[in-house]
This record gives sequence, C-alpha cells and structure tokens, in this order.
Amino acid sequence: MSDAVLTAIRSSVLVVLPEIEPEQVTEEVSLTDLGANSIDRVDVVTMTMDTLGISLSVTEFTDVHDIGSLARLLRRHTP
Amino acid sequence: MSGPWITGAGVLCATAAGVEDFARALRAGTSGIGRRSVDGDHPELRPLLSADLPGFDLSGATADREEPLRRAAARDAGRSPRSVQASVAVALEGWERAGLHRAGVPGERIGIVVAGHNLGGRFAEEVRPRYLSSPVHLPARYPLQFMDTDHVGTVSQLLGLTGEGYTVGGASASGNVALINAARLVESGAADVCLVLGALTDLSDMERQAFYNLGAMAGGQATEPEQAIRPFDAAHGGFVPGQGAACLVLESAASAKRRGAAPWAGLEGYAMRLSGNGLADPSAADEADVMSRALRHAGLVPGRIDYVNAHGTGSPLGDETELTALRALFGHGGPWVNSTKGLIGHCLCAAGVVEAVATVLQMRDGFVHANANLVTPIGTGGRLVGTRSQPAAIGHAMSNGFGFGGFNTSVVLGRPDTF
Repeated sequence: MSDAVLTAIRSSVLVVLPEIEPEQVTEEVSLTDLGANSIDRVDVVTMTMDTLGISLSVTEFTDVHDIGSLARLLRRHTP
Repeated sequence: MSGPWITGAGVLCATAAGVEDFARALRAGTSGIGRRSVDGDHPELRPLLSADLPGFDLSGATADREEPLRRAAARDAGRSPRSVQASVAVALEGWERAGLHRAGVPGERIGIVVAGHNLGGRFAEEVRPRYLSSPVHLPARYPLQFMDTDHVGTVSQLLGLTGEGYTVGGASASGNVALINAARLVESGAADVCLVLGALTDLSDMERQAFYNLGAMAGGQATEPEQAIRPFDAAHGGFVPGQGAACLVLESAASAKRRGAAPWAGLEGYAMRLSGNGLADPSAADEADVMSRALRHAGLVPGRIDYVNAHGTGSPLGDETELTALRALFGHGGPWVNSTKGLIGHCLCAAGVVEAVATVLQMRDGFVHANANLVTPIGTGGRLVGTRSQPAAIGHAMSNGFGFGGFNTSVVLGRPDTF
C-alpha cells in the first residue's frame, strides 16, 4: 500500500540510510531490519513528523515495532 | 631526537585542498581572503572579511581518497556539520598519506586528539530557527552534533580507532595544545600513532560580530580584501578569520620503522605556559619564555632555528608583542619569520595544526612563504620574509600559538636529515 504517511516515512529512511532502496521500505519490516541504529530511528521519526506536520512526544512511540505500526500511529495523528 | 615522527598530513583551507595544493599556494603567496555579504542594518559596522573554504562539500573534499573509506565517509558523515566533515576530509588525507590504510597498525594502538572547542557556532545558529518554530522537530542528531567530541566519535568510527581520544582547547593556541598532548601520548607509549586534528572553527555571524566589536578583527571596509590582513606591517589592523582544518599523523619512530614509513619531519620539542591572565593581553616575557623552553626541550640553542612560523595574526598588540619576544630570544637577524595567517586567515582552533603543516612543507621544499602586505615592517630586527617567497634551507623550525586567556605555546620541528 502507498499513502502520504508511508511515502513520508520512505523519504526519511532514504535520507537517513542512503544505501537502502525505496522498495525495501515496506510496512512489514522494522527500521532496525533496514540497518537503523537508535539515533537513526529517532531521526526518521522526527523527519517524518516534520514532513507531515505532526508533533508527538517520544513516549508515544513505545509500542512502535515496525514500519506498519509507525505508519498507523502517524495516520491517527495526521491533521 | 627522541620525539615522535610526523608520518602524514592533510589540510583544507581557503587556498588549498590537500597538502600538495597547499605547498603550491604557499610558495605562490596565494591569498584566500574575500568579502562576505551580510544582511541587516549597518553593514559598515559588520565584519565583512573572511578566508572561507571555496564551495566545500564532503564528496568533493574526499574525491581523491580511496575506497572503501570514501564511501564510508559519505555514510558516516554525509549529514554532519561542515566542521566535522572538514575533519573527516583532512583525517582521510593524513591517514592515506601516512600509508595507514595499508599498514596493519592495530586500532587500539592509535589515538586521536582534536584541537578545538566551540566549533559549531554557525551550525547552532542554523538549527536555532527550527527550535524556535517547532522544538519537537529538532534534528535527532543535534545532541551528538553540538558537542565538539562529535569530531572524535565520527573520525574514530570511520578509521576504526580504539586507542585514547579526546578534544583539547586553548583558544587560538588549541592546535599546538593538541600537538603537545598527542606527542605525550606517543612518548608515554599510550599510543604508537596519534592523529592530531585541527578542527575547522565554524564561526556564527554573532561570534564574528563579537570579535569585530572588540576591535580584534580587521575591518577592510575601504580596502581590497586581500590587502586588509597585514601581519607585522605598520598598517596592521587586526585578524581576518579563516576556515581551515588540518591533520598531522604523529608516530613513534619504532612504529614507523616497523612498517617502513618515512618521516616528513620530527616533533623535536614543545612547551606550554599560561600567563595567569584571562584577557586578550599577550606578554612578551611569557612568549619568549615558552619559546625558550621549547628550544631547551628540543635540545637546541636559538642559533639552530632557521625559521619561525609566527602566531602573527595581524593584530597590532599581538604582532608587536611577538616580535619583541622573538628579538629577546634570537637577537637581531635570527631566523626567517613569516605568518601563514596573512594568506589563509586565522583558522582559530585549527591554526596551530594548519601552520605546523605549512612549516613541514616549507621545510621539505626549501622555501619560506611571503608575508602578505608587509610594506613597512614594525620595529627593527626579526628577519621578516618580504612579499615574495624565497628559497631557504630549514633544518629546524619553530611554530608559535598564543591564545586569548593567556595560552602560550611553541613547538619545534626538525627536517628528517637533522635527526
């Protein structure tokens, strides 16, 4: 599936992890699977929130375990 | 000589990308001083002169480096602040020129000392509007990046360095302070190899203005930019900041011999003393004392020094104080004296390392570079190089670094055939 949220996540991932190909960024994988470290993960989330105009506390992301759950959380808060 | 060898170097400044480029630019007397544009009111009260890197980007600055390190640099530092990227570029050059990319020196035997503090002023100024408009969206890496230790972390990750590493600060003397610390790491046996990085001081507009308001910085509102910086000239009116970074590879003679690396020069002696004075108030007695101690540490008498790379910022008080100190130590005549800052600006925290590279290159190639715009030398005595470079045989050289807050440092370098 493709939508504004996934597109924004994908763009952020490609900036933070330049060696990743766009089609590797799917809802089924986690950022860790893609090679992101802890700082990279915050980087991706912050950039994506910025793109989408969303402001959430980091504590909101404790249940996020893959790109699918990240996308669902961000969709719920998309203005 | 028992001090460490210098087995590699890298440099990036307004007039050169890489050491061979730098050697050519120094010999030609190329000036890197230009004029910046400023926004806002009262442009006549703003600092306009600067020796900036021409169009820096990491990919271009590492274009001559070998894989896989070049690609790793893009991955590890592709989004780093400019100052860190400059450190990466010069570290890779020094690493390659020292042959360390092919040598099997274990990472745990290699240290790194970064010269500098308050390196990211401009970067902070760039990020601040984001904080003001949307605090939540600050770049996630900012807490790593605003710390100067990011230079240590990023370069050590890239090169696999796991020995000792840290930053040291001594204002404009930071470069020499780092050289001295690195020499001690090698001499004590704590490291076989130590990278010394003079980090690019990326001044914010506010920091430039603060220096300017203090009267420390040359104005040059009416003059051509290249003529505004005049170390040791009667018309000197302050320093011009320069963007620059440099790397020197210090190595124990035993380690270099083991891997067949030839020395570029030796670090023969050094000294550092505080003035016990928090101001921008240099002392000729303290400067002469630190030079004299560095000579004694090197086991040399003043007559053995052929060349002094002066601190020589172009500040009237600083220039006069240093020349007085040089006369006190060397008498009239004495070694050649020039100031690299007249050509590439004052690289602040990196200056000592950049100028040590300049000294090693002049020593290797047998010349002393010009003193930019030296038309009417202040005072008498002190063998100041004129406005053209000239041949000179340099067996032993001294490089000075003095910093606001009473930092006095001097290092002595020797050509390989003298030890």
